[in-house]
Amino acid sequence: MPWAAHDRPFLDPAVVARLGTLELKARTIVEGFLSGLHRSPFKGFSVEFAEYRQYIPGDDLSTIDWKVFARSDRYYIKKFEEETNLDCHLLLDVSGSMGYGAHHGITKFEYGAVLAASLGYLMNRQRDAVGLTAFDEDIVSMLPASARPGHLTALLVTLDRLRTGRQTNVSKPLHQMANTLTKRGIVVLISDLLDDPDEVIRGLKHFQFRGIDVIVFHVLDHDEIEFPFERATRFEDLETTEEIMAVPGAVRDHYLREIGGLIEKYRRELGANGIDYQLLDTNRPLELALMSYLSTRSRSY
Amino acid sequence: MLSFLSPLFLAGAAAAAVPIVLHLLKREPETRVQFAAVKLLKKAPVEHTRRRHLRELILLALRVTALVLLALAFARPFFATGAAIGSTGVTIVALDTSYSMSAPGRFERAQQLARDAIDRAPANNLVGVVTFTDSAETTAKPDGDRVLARAAVDRAAPGFGATRYRGALSAASQNLDGRHGTIVVVTDLQESGWDAGDRVKVPANTAIEVADVGALPPNLAVTAARPLPDRIVATVHNAGPRPRDARVHLQIDGRPAGEAIVSLGANQSADATIAGAPRGTRAVVTIDDPDGIAADNARYVVLGGGSRPSVLVVTGSGDLSREAFYVQHALAAGAAGDAAFQVVGVSGAQLGSWTDDSVAANAAVLLLSTRGLERRGRELLAAYAQSGGGLLIAAGSEIDGDIVADVLGTGAALKVVAPTGSRPGVHTLAPADARHPVFQPFAGTTATLGLVKFQNASRIGGSGCQTLARFTTGDPALIECPAGEGRALVIASDLDNKWSDFPVHATFVPFVHEAVRYVASARAHASDYLVGDAPAGVKRVPGFATVPEGRASNPLRAGSAMRLIAVNVDPREADPARLTIEEFTSAVAPLKEAGSSEARVEVRQQEDRQHLWQYAMAVMALLLVAEGLLAARTA
Repeated sequence: MPWAAHDRPFLDPAVVARLGTLELKARTIVEGFLSGLHRSPFKGFSVEFAEYRQYIPGDDLSTIDWKVFARSDRYYIKKFEEETNLDCHLLLDVSGSMGYGAHHGITKFEYGAVLAASLGYLMNRQRDAVGLTAFDEDIVSMLPASARPGHLTALLVTLDRLRTGRQTNVSKPLHQMANTLTKRGIVVLISDLLDDPDEVIRGLKHFQFRGIDVIVFHVLDHDEIEFPFERATRFEDLETTEEIMAVPGAVRDHYLREIGGLIEKYRRELGANGIDYQLLDTNRPLELALMSYLSTRSRSY
Repeated sequence: MLSFLSPLFLAGAAAAAVPIVLHLLKREPETRVQFAAVKLLKKAPVEHTRRRHLRELILLALRVTALVLLALAFARPFFATGAAIGSTGVTIVALDTSYSMSAPGRFERAQQLARDAIDRAPANNLVGVVTFTDSAETTAKPDGDRVLARAAVDRAAPGFGATRYRGALSAASQNLDGRHGTIVVVTDLQESGWDAGDRVKVPANTAIEVADVGALPPNLAVTAARPLPDRIVATVHNAGPRPRDARVHLQIDGRPAGEAIVSLGANQSADATIAGAPRGTRAVVTIDDPDGIAADNARYVVLGGGSRPSVLVVTGSGDLSREAFYVQHALAAGAAGDAAFQVVGVSGAQLGSWTDDSVAANAAVLLLSTRGLERRGRELLAAYAQSGGGLLIAAGSEIDGDIVADVLGTGAALKVVAPTGSRPGVHTLAPADARHPVFQPFAGTTATLGLVKFQNASRIGGSGCQTLARFTTGDPALIECPAGEGRALVIASDLDNKWSDFPVHATFVPFVHEAVRYVASARAHASDYLVGDAPAGVKRVPGFATVPEGRASNPLRAGSAMRLIAVNVDPREADPARLTIEEFTSAVAPLKEAGSSEARVEVRQQEDRQHLWQYAMAVMALLLVAEGLLAARTA
């Protein structure tokens, strides 16, 4: 592992959710997270100078640092001329199912929004261009990627205005997004992925086909992972209002097999396709998601 | 009808409410959860919810039923019959059939009163009929069909017994079987129906009603007939408001033997003497009284010395004139020179050669000496006592305590300890219970017994013996001990003017007579019986009868020597003295425990026979097992 955290405990997502604004939440998480790293992982991504590298045939001649050549009579190149390192697209699921978890203090949507804000904050700090696309069964909001200093504010405002609503159809927005992106970059999908896994995976592979790296944050509430219900309960679908009366004790095993199978299918098939998959329990600190992102980022660039 | 031995435990069934309350408390409003992954639940067996509810209801029912069964088991349920059913009322008509009811038209009136009582009984009451004289008989058990009761009344007829209310009310109470009800006594309310101090206990929920037949009509009655050597004296009673003359007839062995006329004042008695030495065995004294009660118009008497009971006196040598002089003369003493008892003397050694029958022919045995009384003699005396014979034992110097204890058997555990010689001076005795039959001749004059001085006395006592008199030292002077079916009186001194001066006192003869009569009373030797006291097997009608010597109930005695007895009506029944209804009912004590305790015993016996609580417990155990299995599946 390239970096390690201090002993400082991570922030409880429920505590983070109670912070005032998304910017404050994102800053609290990211600054705290970054202050805990022993050394910077961002070497090579800043618009500032990073390092010199000896010229090798095929390099763009315009990248040669002639001043260094004048002093040392050797060819070195640096890449500080590039404005941004990469485009990062945050895809946030705002379907109705993401609204679950209010009784824990933070819903999946809120957790995903804070995660998106934190990633946006982190990316903006790294001078990466960051964009935001919110979707349910269609794309409901889209903010193009940009590294401009004021872009973070626009992203946070956009996130703040989002509300959960309609049914999920993850694959359709994925395909739409994949068709619109022309530049290589990273797509970060934040969703509960309660959809047809084959369709979802097909949509994600579409990004890969376009040369875009994909990170999937599979956000699930703790209840959805453990199914801790005890009493006979009428379960009402957040998206379809479909109702099922069930005795948890009787259906728990079946449910856990189903959800476990879904998670395992995503983990296995996304991993097989080189897509980073991270299951996030809304009980778990957001910093872990940031770590996962940075890990992927560092491997890719 | 299901009843309970301990119905208070049924309150425990309230515990059945606990699981119900818990069930209701636990039954919270239906939980609704807006859930994201409902689609993952679709294939789950969610239909089990309804089945689970059903299982929970079954579980609840099992638990409630188990608790109810537990309470039921503790309440000891049983299906009540007879006494156990206390809800139905009972009317018992007790119809007096004593001979006082036999006057013309009198019993018909009693029957009509009884029928009226049957008709008046509440519609839902069972009705039974009891007829009574000296004893009571249930002639119609309590039944809803009143025709049976009326038929029983129609069948009833006056008998020859005397009125006894105690038996009648007891039998009626038994027929109530613990149920509430009414006893209607149809009687002429004769005062003689209650013995002195009689009190009858009937269940507290029993009402006593009296249907008065009315006072006795003017009546003449032969209340006694005494054969004397030269005449027969008959006592005639006039139970009427005006003086009357009564013509008295005597028949001996079926032949007229004389007659006499006696004048009687109102409600007075007089003796009629028929001169001439009675010759024969069966004498009947009759009077003419066609308008009065027929049953008391005749008196039957067995003539002849054979009727005198024989007393066997056991001494050391058998010489009564020397060893039992006072006793012999006391027993031989009788009214107007007629000996009260026949006295037979025998030595202890000679007794061993006697037979059971020869010993049993005696009304009582006086044991004055155990000297020479060998094993055979002891066995004879023991068998005599066991079969109901009576012994009077004078624990003087001739008596060995061990032999006496051997004769009386283990029932009395009698101990007789001879005086050591160091015992001080003169004692006198005082009755411990002056009402005892032995002291009846001294009623009001028991102090005269205190004039007797005892210079010496044995120490007597026994675990099963009752002390009748004590010396001034506190030691028992006279005790009564059970001996098989018979009885023994043991006096702690001799009866021969050696240890005491008792034989020279005027109290000696009546004491000896009463003591012998008392010990002999357990054994039938008399020749004159009342209808109510007639030996078993003798018809309850006035007249003559023959019975086996000794106890007729003893099969060993059956077929042995027979004796003639006379059976007469109880003369008290001719007494016209009457009670008021209030006086009658005042002798009836409502006692809650009297009826209910019997009913409880019956109820407990019924419950014991049925053992329903065991079934309840078994079913409860099965239910708990089922509950456990079902709960395990539901958990």
